Amino acid sequence: MAGKFKHGGYIGQLLRVDLTRERVRKEPLKEEWAQDFVGGAGLSARILYEEIPAKAEPLGPENAMTIMTGPLIGTIIPTASRSCVCSKSPYTKSFFHSIFGGYLGAELKFAGYDGVIIRGKARKPSYIWIDDENVEIRDASHIWGKDSFRAQKTLRKEIRDEEIHIATIGNAGEKGAPYAMVLCDMRASGRGGMGAVMGSKLLKAVAVRGTGSVTVPDKEKVLEVAHRLNHILKTTPAVQGLSQFGTPRGVLALNEAGILPTRNWQTEVFENAKRLSAETMRERVVKGDRACFACSVNCTKYSVVPSGSYKSVINGVDYETIYALGSCCGVDSIEALCKADEICDEYGIDIISAGISVSWAMECYEKGILTKKGTDGIDLKFGDADAMLHTLEKIGRLEGFGALLAKGTRAASEIVGKGSARFAIQNKGMEFPGHTCRPLLGAAVGYATGPRGASHHDIRPTGEKMGLVDRKNPEGKGAYAAEINHWLILCDSMLLCHLPETIWGPIKISQNVIDALNAVTGWSLGYEEARRTAERQWNMIRCFSAREGFTREDDQLPWRFTEEPIPEGPMKGSVVPKPVLERMKDDYYQYRGWDKKTGNPTKEKLKELGLDFAVKDVC
Amino acid sequence: MARVKVKTFSNIRAVIGAEVVEVEVKKPETVGELFETLYRKYGRALKDQIWDKNTGEIAPFLIKLNERIIRSTYDLDTPIRDGDEIAIIFPVGGG
Repeated sequence: MAGKFKHGGYIGQLLRVDLTRERVRKEPLKEEWAQDFVGGAGLSARILYEEIPAKAEPLGPENAMTIMTGPLIGTIIPTASRSCVCSKSPYTKSFFHSIFGGYLGAELKFAGYDGVIIRGKARKPSYIWIDDENVEIRDASHIWGKDSFRAQKTLRKEIRDEEIHIATIGNAGEKGAPYAMVLCDMRASGRGGMGAVMGSKLLKAVAVRGTGSVTVPDKEKVLEVAHRLNHILKTTPAVQGLSQFGTPRGVLALNEAGILPTRNWQTEVFENAKRLSAETMRERVVKGDRACFACSVNCTKYSVVPSGSYKSVINGVDYETIYALGSCCGVDSIEALCKADEICDEYGIDIISAGISVSWAMECYEKGILTKKGTDGIDLKFGDADAMLHTLEKIGRLEGFGALLAKGTRAASEIVGKGSARFAIQNKGMEFPGHTCRPLLGAAVGYATGPRGASHHDIRPTGEKMGLVDRKNPEGKGAYAAEINHWLILCDSMLLCHLPETIWGPIKISQNVIDALNAVTGWSLGYEEARRTAERQWNMIRCFSAREGFTREDDQLPWRFTEEPIPEGPMKGSVVPKPVLERMKDDYYQYRGWDKKTGNPTKEKLKELGLDFAVKDVC
Repeated sequence: MARVKVKTFSNIRAVIGAEVVEVEVKKPETVGELFETLYRKYGRALKDQIWDKNTGEIAPFLIKLNERIIRSTYDLDTPIRDGDEIAIIFPVGGG
């Protein structure tokens, strides 16, 4: 197929796997869908809107999933290293794209596919082996029950190729835990329960070997853009710390600013932050730096705890681990966090949701809502690393008290009651990442309206942290959040990493993004056309949610964020009062041309974006 | 002249070589002059971390001045006084 497709960078071919019928088929990628939705999250949303019937049970065979790349993947455009697993989420009950880094996406392109659509349910545990044009659904009974790493090791040995790239699920995915993740080599497609969707299909793994290449219309042009972007990456101050310190580079700075969420967000200042800093991590556990495909940033840190009860080997820890399982649980041992990271990977559970579920339980325990009887005897105090690790293991095994926490804080608080929903730090069922919005009103409306619930990849707090806008003034924050949505979704359709965000955004689509897309595809989009593409993608995702019954009532923040001001530090007193949030939501829907009453797209907006087919479902 | 304590983190700290340094800022005693003083003291290596090479402008970030948060984009003319403490809060969005 390569070379025949109208647009550069694409293979022009999708792989369709029907697990129920045990059939594999190659099919052409629609050129107009590539043009309108690009790839990754945008293209998956369009495909899955067709593939998944409304109100489908996320863990039923009628749900479908994709593993999707984009036109830039497999080229030398720096940070175009991501790919995504997409489906209807068992956690948030709507469309979800869960991005991962590493090499699997590029390998899939080299094997000859822009993406894989997976449908149905296998009769027995299975894995998909993609070896260039040869694709097989194979028996995975011998690896069902194995943890993610052991399953990968077994497949590499069995296939006799150490360099294949593999996406696997662990025990949590096999058992349908709604925030189970997919581990792609050592990188996580962490959020939204994509591992549970795989598990429901009895799909243990997808292994890929590709020996082909990606064709672009003008190699010189791509080389020139890649060279320029690499230079910018190397010389932009906000990106430089990533190479040396990775994502934890900001732990101390965030704490200094009074925005490091601590003890389940009861405060945002952690007294022992130094023990979890990037500097401490570098000194005590980091053994090397690693990079994803085609990335010059090298932000991944390879860490080893050589002995003792926290013995572990991981890629990380990343900032979100430090936040969710560190400061939010009051835990101050970097070695314990390495072990926690390894446990999450082995069992295949999302670190953020698991960590915040543990911190929620710790607060319940502190308040006497949960006692030792309810925690299977664990003395679940904030700051107890071993209690945190023990609880994580139980979550991974869905055992006893762990089975409750494996449901996440929304469901668990409904079961436990006694006011515990007030400190379930979630939106649309998904727990918050470690980036506050109480002092950042633009981030607040972005989180509330985010289609994936509390995702820091549907909104970024960075523009406000850079001082580019007045973080305290609600005026105009609807428009501000919408334009951040746009650069994020466009990057998620191109699969550019968000981390060097100051060069892709940070508050609207930057020319760098458009240059990269045009160079690879041969398109000549201007800003308005690129923005329109992003707007179409965002509306497509909102249509998926609207068809599932979501409205503005679902666009909320946790009780704590609207009612409890930050109690100390430089951001003391910060809170997002409900009336202010509702006003910003009005502003957001109006800016988008959506119906303020429902919070969903109007007929006029859908027609304007070429999404006429969704009018019957949404309006 | 104002003597102020400057606290830094990660890559900026790696250049300065200490968690906290004390700096004398001559007139005008402002946050902007403090950054010029730091540049004169630590040279190019620091400039590369704080000024954007591509625009020549000071990068946008937050500054903690005692217990107050101000912005490098708008507040460089904020006066500083003897004994003030400043922390440089570079933007991070997390992974």
